[in-house]
Amino acid sequence: MSLTASIDYSHDVEDVALAALLKLSRGVAVIGHDDRLLLKNPGFDALFGAGLTGPAVLSMIGLRARPAEDSGPFQVLLDDGRTASVEVARVPQGWLITAEDVSAALVERERAAGEARVDILTGLGNRLMFQEAMNAALDGKDTRFAVLMLDLDRFKAVNDGLGHPVGDALLVKIAQRLRGALSPDDVAARLGGDEFGVIQVGQSQPQAAAALAERLVDLLGRAYIVDGHLINIGASVGVALAPEDGGSYAEIVRSADLALYRAKQGGRSTFRFFESAMDEQMQARRRLEIDLRRALALREFTLFYQPQFNLASRKVTGFEALLRWRSESRGMVPPAEFIPLAEEIGLISPIGEWVIRTACREAAGWADNLSVAVNVSAVQFRSRTLLSTIVSALAESGLAPNRLELEITESVLLEDLGAATSLLNSVREMGVRVSMDDFGTGYSSLSYLRSFPFDKIKIDQSFVRAGDQDPGAAAIVRAIAALGQSLGMTVTAEGVETDDQFANVLAVGCTDVQGYAISRPMPADQIAAFLTSSPRDA
Amino acid sequence: MTVDNAAEAKLYRLVYYSRNRVAQETEATAAEIDDILAASRRNNARVGVTGALIFNSGVFAQVLEGALPDIEATFERIQRDQRHGDVEVLQFEPTATRAFPTWSMGFIGRSQKGKHLFGHVTEATGFEAKRLEGERIFDIMRAIAIDEERAPAA
Repeated sequence: MSLTASIDYSHDVEDVALAALLKLSRGVAVIGHDDRLLLKNPGFDALFGAGLTGPAVLSMIGLRARPAEDSGPFQVLLDDGRTASVEVARVPQGWLITAEDVSAALVERERAAGEARVDILTGLGNRLMFQEAMNAALDGKDTRFAVLMLDLDRFKAVNDGLGHPVGDALLVKIAQRLRGALSPDDVAARLGGDEFGVIQVGQSQPQAAAALAERLVDLLGRAYIVDGHLINIGASVGVALAPEDGGSYAEIVRSADLALYRAKQGGRSTFRFFESAMDEQMQARRRLEIDLRRALALREFTLFYQPQFNLASRKVTGFEALLRWRSESRGMVPPAEFIPLAEEIGLISPIGEWVIRTACREAAGWADNLSVAVNVSAVQFRSRTLLSTIVSALAESGLAPNRLELEITESVLLEDLGAATSLLNSVREMGVRVSMDDFGTGYSSLSYLRSFPFDKIKIDQSFVRAGDQDPGAAAIVRAIAALGQSLGMTVTAEGVETDDQFANVLAVGCTDVQGYAISRPMPADQIAAFLTSSPRDA
Repeated sequence: MTVDNAAEAKLYRLVYYSRNRVAQETEATAAEIDDILAASRRNNARVGVTGALIFNSGVFAQVLEGALPDIEATFERIQRDQRHGDVEVLQFEPTATRAFPTWSMGFIGRSQKGKHLFGHVTEATGFEAKRLEGERIFDIMRAIAIDEERAPAA
């Protein structure tokens, strides 16, 4: 076939060409040297939409500048999810752009690749291939092998921040680095978005797996340059060994995943071997989670109240509400055992809401001069519903806002100081009081005390307890008390247990105390009796 | 008709340094360093990347200048090289002109043994920082290299 067109000039050539162009299913457009759209057919509109200008078309197909040479075919992801294959060719009038919808072909290719056990993007194996390779290893003559599960840290931020094409290009580079670090006999597969699996065979274990895991954490965690972006991500690795960590594909993968979970918990960009203790801990955690999830519905939570005592007036000023879980199967569960889990699995918000509502309702039945303090965690602060919960809890209970006190720790302010202080200010405008809890531990930054005018500082009990023997701790208590006084804040010493401690905190200038020296936390129905017994009225 | 030159790929500059994992100042190391430099010059000349490299027993510091795809490919090759550890990128941005239009390499170290083993590299290539920007980058690299040099062998 000749490269020159074969044209019969007995017809009006332009009419013929135009008719053919209009009927052509392939999208065609011509863009002039001045970027104006000179011509396009309905097929083009069907792909890219009607009414586009020349520059819009150029940007749509990903060309920032007009190409000096013919380019393509390259794929362009359209807004509606379809994929077009585009070619750009120079013509005397400018640039000829032709495009066709290749979505169906891609789906077919994906299906074929799935059958071929290949991950299209990276060229590694897919999950099916991984499973088959592991089953083959399990059935082989050497059933000792290692399985490494890899997961990227911060990959989502790359996808969200730089876009999926950059994320995909990064995955390709990661896969190449991964493949390059393996022996020819090793199997590598992409198991999901940013999850990879490796089967390492024919090596002496666990040394070989440890060396590879360490190498991969280092190699994959090194900076990448993709499309002009410098990208830093990390990789975490979990390792399981066959046959000791599992006798089937499912068991081995589960063990490696558990180890990976631990690696991520252990600060990321590290690796962990599976240990049977992990499994037991994980099972125990899962059972606790099941019980915890239904504790609210089964009304197993209850509030205990610990009195707060003012040293000048020698009177109880209020109570701190403390959450207790009386589990039917476990008995009393200490907060330290279930609060972190509740935070992790997102139960802390409904539990926290229950605490606020219950504390307000119960406190509304007390004498008007008694307040109730409620602990609010950083996780609750992040949820948008905290303010409305407080508003409705006060309205439903009829408790005066100035009788409610929120106790927060520095961690609330640590994450997003601006958002936290604005929420605290809204709370304050309603008349609710705010305390800084556990002061002296953590950062104890004075700037946090300045960032919001707290009503009260609560000195962490560790200083109060150590103050007996440790002059350093005593000095800290004295300094915080002086600080609070000069800022006009109430200063409560927590964890005051003995008469000596009581005398000490009084001597250094604390205004209030809380602790066993006054009373242990008590159920709501014991408060009335406690108040009539007039504690510390000496 | 004139065609604008937009196709001329944009020039990028990358400056990085990394811990030198090539062990000690020995003859074998000297041979390995020679290999690295030779390979690096060969590869980089092929893809039109120029720059500067200085090293001692503690650190490699390198400037790479070239078209983005070439810089990207070169950097990826460096990242996969076991001999580099803790690669730290100091600068990565488009640049109008090359600060190092020809290759410059040098050994910067105080140890006599190192100078004896690696000094020829400097002599063979010389330093050719064309512009003030190049000199500034080179000064920073030099400072890092000197800080990172391992205690000279007795």
